[in-house]
Amino acid sequence: MSADVSDLSLVRRVQSGDKGAFDALVLKYQHKVTKLVMRYVRNPAEAEDIAQEAFIKAYRALPQFRGDSAFYTWLYRIAINTAKNAVVSRDRNPVDYDLDMQNTDESYELQGRMKDAETPEGLVLTDEIRTTVNAAMDALPEDLRTAIVLRELEGLSYEEIAASMDCPVGTVRSRIFRAREAIDKRLREVFEGGLGRTEELG
Amino acid sequence: MNEELDSQLSAMFDDELPQGECELLARRLSRDAALQARWGRYAAIGAVVRGDVRVGSSVAYKVHAVIAAESAPAAQRPVAFAGSGGRTASLWLRGVAGAALAASVAAVSILWLQGGLPGGAGVLVARAPVPAAAAPETRASYVVPRAVESRMTVPATELANYVVAHSEFSTPVSRRNLLSALMASEPAAVGAPEQSLGSVDDPNPHADDAR
Amino acid sequence: MQMMRVSERLAWLALALAAASSALAQEPRQWLERMNQALTSRNYDGVFSHWQDGRVEMLRIIHRNQNGQVTERLASLDGSGREFIRTGTELTCYLPDKRTVLVESQPGGAGSLLASFPSFDEKSAGFYDIQEVMRTRINRRDTRVIAVTPRDEFRYGYRLWIDETTAMPLKTQLCDAHGRIIEQVVFASLTLASHIADAAFRPEVATDGFQWLRNDPTPVGAGVPNTSALWSALKLPPGFRMTVRSAQVLPGAHDPVAHLVFTDGLASVSVFVESRSAEVPRDQPALSGVASVGSASAFSTVIDGHKVTAVGEVPPATVRFIASSVKRSELPLAAGPSGH
Repeated sequence: MSADVSDLSLVRRVQSGDKGAFDALVLKYQHKVTKLVMRYVRNPAEAEDIAQEAFIKAYRALPQFRGDSAFYTWLYRIAINTAKNAVVSRDRNPVDYDLDMQNTDESYELQGRMKDAETPEGLVLTDEIRTTVNAAMDALPEDLRTAIVLRELEGLSYEEIAASMDCPVGTVRSRIFRAREAIDKRLREVFEGGLGRTEELG
Repeated sequence: MNEELDSQLSAMFDDELPQGECELLARRLSRDAALQARWGRYAAIGAVVRGDVRVGSSVAYKVHAVIAAESAPAAQRPVAFAGSGGRTASLWLRGVAGAALAASVAAVSILWLQGGLPGGAGVLVARAPVPAAAAPETRASYVVPRAVESRMTVPATELANYVVAHSEFSTPVSRRNLLSALMASEPAAVGAPEQSLGSVDDPNPHADDAR
Repeated sequence: MQMMRVSERLAWLALALAAASSALAQEPRQWLERMNQALTSRNYDGVFSHWQDGRVEMLRIIHRNQNGQVTERLASLDGSGREFIRTGTELTCYLPDKRTVLVESQPGGAGSLLASFPSFDEKSAGFYDIQEVMRTRINRRDTRVIAVTPRDEFRYGYRLWIDETTAMPLKTQLCDAHGRIIEQVVFASLTLASHIADAAFRPEVATDGFQWLRNDPTPVGAGVPNTSALWSALKLPPGFRMTVRSAQVLPGAHDPVAHLVFTDGLASVSVFVESRSAEVPRDQPALSGVASVGSASAFSTVIDGHKVTAVGEVPPATVRFIASSVKRSELPLAAGPSGH
């Protein structure tokens, strides 16, 4: 199993015209890219804008991608360049991201409401996702939790995790899968349900 | 819920799936909205575990839209348009891109109604279809759902017609927003005709401020 | 003359300051005007998200103004396949999921008493507070945020993130009088083009086997009374005035409806009165409740045996108010037996 097989099979599909395959790549890496960009810009919303731009640049450049490097390495470079350019152009025309507003109560209220709508378009409930995942993690049996933490947080391969947990690779794969399943079950309600939430409305 | 498939998905996400299986799964992944949604949730799980700031993210959603808007050759239309009439797309939206807020309980969004209004204008009889002389040349790239009920009876489009007729007199921003609302495919069950003009008084404001 | 008295100088200064501050106060309104101007006169191609009632749709808009001739295409990117295409005179709605095409002929200007486009004037200013709230960035563009706050509960407000360079609204929020956000539009991408080809406005829908429904904007015929002249509104919410009076036969319908338009300069409400009352019992109570189409409200009631519907981008109370105050006017000459 060579690294990057998964990404490359998606990349090849994109190169033959399958846009859905690119969606999968974006889904996988959007958090990582945003986090990377945030080394250059602190404002998360601005970072997301830059991340969006980086992905679109990558999409347009993908026909020329030859697989000389891993896909993520290539994407990483594009993201950094995009972020750097953004900072440069911003510094040329500095506009405070800090709000330049009158100091009245009304205006603070306004600010608060706008933040709500900033998590846009009804899409994102960051806190809720975080809470749900953390609660689900706490409820996991220890071996499952360890496996997924070693994978996601430490970035270890299945082989490395197998060595560390002293079990076969197949068991590692199974544990990580079952951990995800358990967490995902709760997450699905957040992502898909309106049902779970109407109770809040009373 | 195909467990074997999902287990493969998990392994592929970790780049631990053999190449042959990757190729097969990649093809499914690009077409199956539910599978993509799961894949997206795996990414969110990772983000939480690593403590990323923006755990929910609209980046994928926006990138998808921008790319989808670019002209695609007919054969490669995004999966959303294939036959199922939009359900796949909304699944992608909600499942992959993030949570849909609970729909406001009271507001009823009326688009195209079936069967006539209660006690109102009754069933509007279809005129003979105007020949497509006025129709611009079209590229036949959209797959029209095959199963369609008899169209002799015009859906009681009155309210949406009114909105369309009204839109001419709105400001540019309002008109755009009004027409955007009419673009949405309605939820699976619009409801019985009796509800057609809204069975609720003065819809409740949204519960956004509950947060 | 050269030696102005101190008091005169102060008076002059006060005038100058007053003029300056009113010029500043003009600024937010000018941003709105520039925005409307840009939306109408620029060529652009954008993708935006439309959030309303907990749902999001992604849409594409392509707009061209060629020597005053506007062409616009709005297309759903989310799978409904619907497209709306506006030309100078027609709005064509492609509804593949209904296998239907609606064509609404909008001669524009036919029957208007005043300009049909709401225009914000001094009177309107009495009902809205317009302020520049801040400067910020969206998608790395410098924008001015203009808040339009209604002074009463009969209308909605807006917050607009207006791009400083192009005056395009990159983000728009519709808010109620309490500041709650009802609707939001945000551009994910926006390109201003010098030229857009005709091909960009062709629908991507195959319409074989579809039914085509057209309206008739100028119903004539023996015995069709001057429908619209029969109706007016007794009372209106503060600031609203009638600007259009016309009639048409809606797509798929047989009989003309009167169409009246009321506006306060920003929000507008249409009232449709059906001419046939045959199927509506005279004393039928008002049909229940207020409906909504997106963020627009609609309310129907029966007046004098005729179904009256008010629709507009206003709160529910406003459409209810206006619809309920519609009244049949007295005609100077009897048109024949009462009640047709």
